[in-house]
Amino acid sequence: MATMNNEPTGFTKRPSRRLSASATKAPLVPSADRRWSLRRRLTVALGGFGGLAIITLIVAPLVGPTPITLARVFDTSVPFTENVDAQIFFIARLPRALAGILVGASLAVAGVVFQALLRNPLATPFTLGVSAGASLGAMLVITLGLPVAMVGIPAVPIASLLGSLGAASVVYTMATLRHRGLSTTVLLLAGVTLNSFFSAIIMFVQYSSDFAQTFQTVRWLMGNLDVGGFQPILAALPLLGIAFVMFGTLPRALNLLTLGSDSAAARGVDILRVQRVAFLSASLATGAAVSLSGPIGFIGIVIPHLIRLVVGADHRIVMPASACLGAAFLVACDVAARSVMAPLELPVGVITALTGGPFFLWLLVRQR
Amino acid sequence: MLQVANVSFAYEKHLVLSDVSFDLAPGGLLGILGPNGSGKTTLLRLLGGLLRPSAGQILLDGRDLGSITKAGLAKRMAMVPQETYLAFDYSVLEVALMGRYPHLRTFEVEGPEDVEVARAALAETGTANLEQRSFMTLSGGEKQRVVIASALAQFGRRATDTGRRPVEALLLDEPTASLDLGYQLDIASTIRRLNNDRSTAIVISTHDLNFAASVCEQVVLLRQGCILAAGPIHEILRPDTVKDLYNVDAVVEHHAKAGHLTIVPLARRAIDTPYGHNE
Amino acid sequence: MATGATTMTRLRGLVVIVAWLVFVADLQAQAPQRIVSIIPAVTEILFAIGAGPQVVGVGSYDNYPPEIGDLPRVGGLIDPDVEAILALRPNLVVLYITQVDLTTQLTRAGIPLFEYSHGTLADIPTTIRRLGNRTGHAAEADKVALDIEDGLVGIAEAVSRRHRPRTLLVIAREPYSLRNLFASGGSGFQHDMLELAGAKNVLDGTMRRAVQVTTEMILQAAPDVIIEVRTVERLSPAEIEKEMEVWNALPSLPAVQNQNVIFLTGSDLVIPGPRIVQAITRFALVLHPDAPLPTQ
Repeated sequence: MATMNNEPTGFTKRPSRRLSASATKAPLVPSADRRWSLRRRLTVALGGFGGLAIITLIVAPLVGPTPITLARVFDTSVPFTENVDAQIFFIARLPRALAGILVGASLAVAGVVFQALLRNPLATPFTLGVSAGASLGAMLVITLGLPVAMVGIPAVPIASLLGSLGAASVVYTMATLRHRGLSTTVLLLAGVTLNSFFSAIIMFVQYSSDFAQTFQTVRWLMGNLDVGGFQPILAALPLLGIAFVMFGTLPRALNLLTLGSDSAAARGVDILRVQRVAFLSASLATGAAVSLSGPIGFIGIVIPHLIRLVVGADHRIVMPASACLGAAFLVACDVAARSVMAPLELPVGVITALTGGPFFLWLLVRQR
Repeated sequence: MLQVANVSFAYEKHLVLSDVSFDLAPGGLLGILGPNGSGKTTLLRLLGGLLRPSAGQILLDGRDLGSITKAGLAKRMAMVPQETYLAFDYSVLEVALMGRYPHLRTFEVEGPEDVEVARAALAETGTANLEQRSFMTLSGGEKQRVVIASALAQFGRRATDTGRRPVEALLLDEPTASLDLGYQLDIASTIRRLNNDRSTAIVISTHDLNFAASVCEQVVLLRQGCILAAGPIHEILRPDTVKDLYNVDAVVEHHAKAGHLTIVPLARRAIDTPYGHNE
Repeated sequence: MATGATTMTRLRGLVVIVAWLVFVADLQAQAPQRIVSIIPAVTEILFAIGAGPQVVGVGSYDNYPPEIGDLPRVGGLIDPDVEAILALRPNLVVLYITQVDLTTQLTRAGIPLFEYSHGTLADIPTTIRRLGNRTGHAAEADKVALDIEDGLVGIAEAVSRRHRPRTLLVIAREPYSLRNLFASGGSGFQHDMLELAGAKNVLDGTMRRAVQVTTEMILQAAPDVIIEVRTVERLSPAEIEKEMEVWNALPSLPAVQNQNVIFLTGSDLVIPGPRIVQAITRFALVLHPDAPLPTQ
């Protein structure tokens, strides 16, 4: 397995031909000389990245502007409503860390799936308009005060989820309009168009709202993991659960999809079903994640590439490893966001961009 | 083995193939020849089960292609496209192992048997030494041979498979398009060897008449979606059929040293256009 | 010679009278008759000091006093409509000091400007007097300013020597949720209002006008009183009830335990203008219900 010597060329069908290229760089988790063992590589990768995720989850709730100690947190002699340390730990920090795990994992795997579906390494979970739809939904509630609250779940996450699913439906319908199945080209074009269209509407809505509302929407767009309780997480969990179950059926088919639709179909892959499941699961995961925390960028594109550098391109390893690393990365960024300028906080999306952006540039330069 | 009966195919009201019929015997070596746009690739995709005919039937050992499961079909028929472009980088062995997909159950992981089949397939096409290389760094010829190996891996049977080995068919679309002379000879010899040793039926769609002549025993001439002629190559490939097909004056003769027909184009023929002759 | 002296006196008197008449006429001529204000606070001030009839255009976000009625709207801080402003042929435009582009354009058109910026509570009477001088209503403006100053002093006295509850002043948050919550920091006129009304702002250590407050910050600050300020007047009692329930997610806050979460609506709460005393009194009544405050 190797580095990505091929530039991401999007739609170009002509690969670069290099006669007798030099030996490739070995990945950090090399497959052994003559034995080919997926299980072993999977165990190593999951052990490494999974361990990282678990460590981050354990450490994160302990870090923050207010010093707290585990002893005081679990001190049962003090009633909960008077135990400030416990309140901070269980209401403020632990839900934040859990939200970071869920959102980070979802966006990372959604990124992998979209990249495989569109056969484009530059695809992100936000390429197909899902995030723009979510943002529009949230914005409409904040600005117009639309009463979209349901069963104790606040209005903004519901509206953003509906917005994201709406956008996904539009894009999917356009891509399957002709009876020949799902056209990834149309999918991509429809998604990009929808992004622009929704962005224009978002700008218009921002223009006609007052200061406070504009400020609110701008902050929502920067992403925020401070969910303030377990309820939002529990609300998002079923959707994410469904999405991840669907993710589980995809890895091998996505490997074959890399060869191209025809080659994969010739090897027995049910192309239409795989494309549908991939699109639906990735859109659902993205929509649920964005409704939980607002759109947080760079996870969906940086993590998949980073993972592929380390473990190769087999989706059976890339997908679970990306979930783990995405989770760890986002929680770590959140800790940084609330520590750098304590007690004030930077938006977590700023941290992911500041770390993800330069890293991505380095990735591109390294490829040459 | 394969029976194509009155197959027509239209892509959104545009008729691509019209009433095409021919047979492929087990172990046959068939070439589908024709100029660009004659419907060759579409016909190949129909044979491979990737498309459904708009009219007519394609039978594999008497069963309609549509009634065979995707996995079942993939174990017997493999396709090699003109070019393979990977969106992400895999090793050669991983690409070869992708051919094992139809043999694996949903969450089954490739076992040692599958790895052996993949390695054997790589050896068949002379690419075993490239096993750990990254696919994207290979030359055009090497890539093509690895893809053929991946297709062959679809045929490998497991110890648990029962019954007689079914007859296999390998469909190749313009296999020499991006290859230089040396690789063309390699591919030709690989194909002939497969046909000899394993009785794999071969269908090649190409506009390279000389390559087809070096490999194929039967040919189907396709022009604008219709069959111009079909039959043994020595009977069908003649100067007049070449002229009908390509509007080219050519010399068609058996080359003693090469051991097969060679076609040498001489001059373009006048084409009748609505505006009169075009020299 | 007595007649000569009388004539001189009369002449001197006449000169004085004429001079005074010219002066007054000149003064009136200087007072701008066509004023455009795109700032809600300034619009209110202008009407309060009697310059209302001189106002020909107001900002998009102005909604008080009702007298502004059908006056043309010409935009606000982000989107001032230069054409609309020019079309009104103003001879005084009040704008934010930060609106550099607009300033340049209007200066080029030769229109006199009054530059404004939000300041502290003490700046309000100052601004009123400045506007009074500028618009030829110095006397009325002085009276309004004095009323405000007296009012502020009165409130300060009424709540002095009383315990100052630790208070969080919430300016904005997501609907039905505590996310993206913004509160008044330790600077700006809203902080001043709170402090004058006899509270201690829990965020007074953060020198910013608005602070995005996380769950952790609220839990750690543990305010005794939470005042939520909304400018929209259209929240129904049922909606307010639902919004207040959101705070039950943080039961450790003294404000929640003692049911000291209060919702106040009205544009007077966020505009540093003539109704400021009324607004601060509302705060003070919430914080010190038994204080001898002037009811209005």
